[in-house]
Amino acid sequence: MTYLTTADHDELRAMVRELADERIAPRAAAIDEQSEFPWDLKELLAESDLLGTCFEERHGGTALDTIAQSILVEEIARADATTSLIPIVQKLGALPILLAGSDEQQDRYLPRLASGEWLAAFALTEAAAGSDVASNRMRAARDGDDYVLNGSKRFITHGGVANLLTVFALTDPEAGGRKGMSAFIVETETPGFAAPRVEHKMGIRGSPTAELTFDDVRVPAANRLGDDGEGFRIAMETLDRSRLSIAAQAVGIAQGATDAAVAYAADRTQFGERVVDFQGIQWMLADMASQTEAARQLTYAAAARVDAQARDLPYWTSSAKLVAGDTAMKVTTDAVQVLGGYGYITEYPVERMMRDAKITQLYEGTQQIQRLIVARQLLQRAGVARRG
Amino acid sequence: MKIVVCIKQVPATGADKRYTDDLRLDRAAAETIINPLDEYAIEQALRLADDGVADSVTYLSMGPEQASEALRRALGMGGDDAVLITDPALAGADEWATARVLATALDRLAPDVALMGMASDDARGSLVPGAVAAMRDVPLLSYGAELKVADGEARVRRLSATGYDWIGAPLPVVATVTDQVGEPRYASLKGIMGAKRKPLETWSLADAGVSSDALRGAALTRVTDARPPEDKPPTERIENLPPTEAAARIADWLAQRKLV
Amino acid sequence: MSNDILFLAEFAAGRPARSALELATGAAELASESGGSAVALAYGSGAADGAAGLGAHGAARAIVVGDEDRPAITYAPAVVAAARDAGLAILAPATPNGRDLAAALVGSLDLPAFGPVRAARLSDGALETEQATLQGSVVTTSRPADGAPAPAVVLVLANTFTPSEGGSGSAEVTEAPAAEASALTKATVVESHEAEAKVVNLEEATIIVAGGRGVGGEEGFGPLRELAEVLGGAVGASRAAADAGWIPYQLQIGQTGKVVKPSLYIGAGISGAIQHRVGMQTAEHVVAINRDPDAPIGEFADLFVVGDLFQIIPALTEELRRRKGG
Repeated sequence: MTYLTTADHDELRAMVRELADERIAPRAAAIDEQSEFPWDLKELLAESDLLGTCFEERHGGTALDTIAQSILVEEIARADATTSLIPIVQKLGALPILLAGSDEQQDRYLPRLASGEWLAAFALTEAAAGSDVASNRMRAARDGDDYVLNGSKRFITHGGVANLLTVFALTDPEAGGRKGMSAFIVETETPGFAAPRVEHKMGIRGSPTAELTFDDVRVPAANRLGDDGEGFRIAMETLDRSRLSIAAQAVGIAQGATDAAVAYAADRTQFGERVVDFQGIQWMLADMASQTEAARQLTYAAAARVDAQARDLPYWTSSAKLVAGDTAMKVTTDAVQVLGGYGYITEYPVERMMRDAKITQLYEGTQQIQRLIVARQLLQRAGVARRG
Repeated sequence: MKIVVCIKQVPATGADKRYTDDLRLDRAAAETIINPLDEYAIEQALRLADDGVADSVTYLSMGPEQASEALRRALGMGGDDAVLITDPALAGADEWATARVLATALDRLAPDVALMGMASDDARGSLVPGAVAAMRDVPLLSYGAELKVADGEARVRRLSATGYDWIGAPLPVVATVTDQVGEPRYASLKGIMGAKRKPLETWSLADAGVSSDALRGAALTRVTDARPPEDKPPTERIENLPPTEAAARIADWLAQRKLV
Repeated sequence: MSNDILFLAEFAAGRPARSALELATGAAELASESGGSAVALAYGSGAADGAAGLGAHGAARAIVVGDEDRPAITYAPAVVAAARDAGLAILAPATPNGRDLAAALVGSLDLPAFGPVRAARLSDGALETEQATLQGSVVTTSRPADGAPAPAVVLVLANTFTPSEGGSGSAEVTEAPAAEASALTKATVVESHEAEAKVVNLEEATIIVAGGRGVGGEEGFGPLRELAEVLGGAVGASRAAADAGWIPYQLQIGQTGKVVKPSLYIGAGISGAIQHRVGMQTAEHVVAINRDPDAPIGEFADLFVVGDLFQIIPALTEELRRRKGG
């Protein structure tokens, strides 16, 4: 299948770029230095209707196609990776409700997410269960019309600032993670819930990554998403889609780094010449630009397939996240190199971009997991039988 | 209370701008934006609409067909509808011709307040609003830091040499506002999407009620030459000197030029 | 149609604005080329008493359009009546009041409009003007189109003409012809607020010391004021400083503030963004002091000093005082 970007996409890009250049980029260094969650930018994005792009109009969203949603993330990430996590995680936290929620659950919760009045987060990972999702240990015990949740989660992006969490816990521990896990909507005001710790990180420092504890947290059965035991499937379907946001984030980071490197090299003279006129530098910049573009186009191709509900959707989204994440790491590292010593100091943004890029190779499925997913789809297409 | 905001599409600052061979501003050549000073007029009108003082806000622009983009952007910020006056006969129009066309169109639209920015960014023209007021025989309230409308009267707060005055006149008026109105709002995504569905009419000169005789060839002025400014001598720099020495060098520089 | 050159002369409390003296000089220069006379259209409080004095700067005649303290636009119908078919050109100051009246002339009499100009002259018997457009990136030369009505309306920036030394002439003062009824007279001052301190009219200053974001606060303007005093100049500011409330808006130089053309402009802690630049770029000599060696103002300043303004400005003030003292 083919895809096209339209004039509407261009208009959206221009709109977000203006906001990003005028309001987000100037804040990026301070957000990183203070490790502060940018509430002001969250308000700005909410007022501009940019937190509702994945929701239907009947819930107050703008129902943009997935390419447009990628462009939105890309343009924000180009200015600041931390701020781009605000729309990314809003969608991630909401996806289980979008994919498996009843009409009643959607009507009850999605409008507040679309307007940005509430923030959402996705609570799957545990200290002992990262790539190995199935070895989750948190429990949800049925008690009358409620479930009682006990356990803890780790590395939950925005876990401490969210109003609503989609949480995964074992309703049938005997059956194990694949068959015995269920998904729940938990409002963070619920007694027994706490976010006691936030991690100190290499990058995306303004995004709070929290440890969450659930101590007899009571959740009405009406907040369970889907049936008992559907949790693992819901989590995997969520990640199949949300990882594309990370691909877009990585593309944006890479683009920001490329633009910064070009601008610096054009301004700096050494040995009587502009650095940008040295062939060696031009080769580096050309590689950075073309690899970023390749990652971008793969992301859009995957986005088109998400909207077409392609059966091999995971092959596409995993490929995009894999390529984009590795590209972001390489491009930002090269950007620091182009700036030389100046690339290493905080006066220029590329060192931050390099630190921010690393996470795109780690979260929402490490690059190794992505490779496993791509390989599985590849072998399936090639008719290779699964290992017995 | 009905407001019509007159806006102009201009080349973006820093964009590649030039005059054509026949000495007109090459409007196709550059990236275009809403004249930044008009954004304050838009913001002022939308605030009056938010407060319920204005019942409707219409945008009016005269320009090439491409100027409809500026009108859509304005509609993305808010407002109800827009009118674009475009006609080949208007190519190269100067301030007088622009005023003549806008005045006639405004008489048709009959707003209580015709609101404009204080100047335009490209040719630095500032006479259109006052000329429109004179042509329509309507009071002019200009250089307002703020506009208020109540009880059939409009008022602007205008800086004076020693403070400020509120100057008022009975409706209908022509008013201009400055950047002291405050930051113009960003268009929201829903605003931008909704703007596509708001009515935007295109009028020719005939639709606007202007006969081409009345326009006398669209300009009473003629540009006879356009060139880059004279090269300045390169900037002298003083760096890395202790303050007292830098001060002495500056004083010498001023003395050489008989400025002290 | 006569070859006279008209000009607007604004008065306040019987004294002419500096623009009136500049335009008198400019009009007299043009009139000597055209073979006509320089004729003032005088308005504002005390204009009747002060109009004759314009003769000392080259005006042959002065028409008193009105003598009260009211919004300048309300004088438009009288100005129009006096200007109709009355000369080759009419010069107006590029100030808010001057622009209001110029615009009313253009609209009432369908006149060609020029400016703000940086030069005006006669060429082959017709008016020719030069103006900078597109943020100063292009200089255009213009003339009235064939068959365009007269007088041509010409907006003139401050300090384009230098007032001549006062001579001994006295202008012949006449009353204005009757004005037609016009809605432009309906603007009235409904409330008036005086600021605590009187502010200098920056447009008339020949030396300006301006401060921007780098000055950091109201107190930061102290050293700038001292330097301005030693130089005999006025203090101005960028929009950032005005928005922050460090100085009154009347002192803001820029696209939406005052457009100034001093012989010396010293900008301290001002980055030189385009919106400020268009307010001062025609200054004859531009000195900039900034900590940032890459500040845009460094590209169009005549002298760019990289350093801490809070050290350099007091040092400069001290040095100038020393040299003055002998």
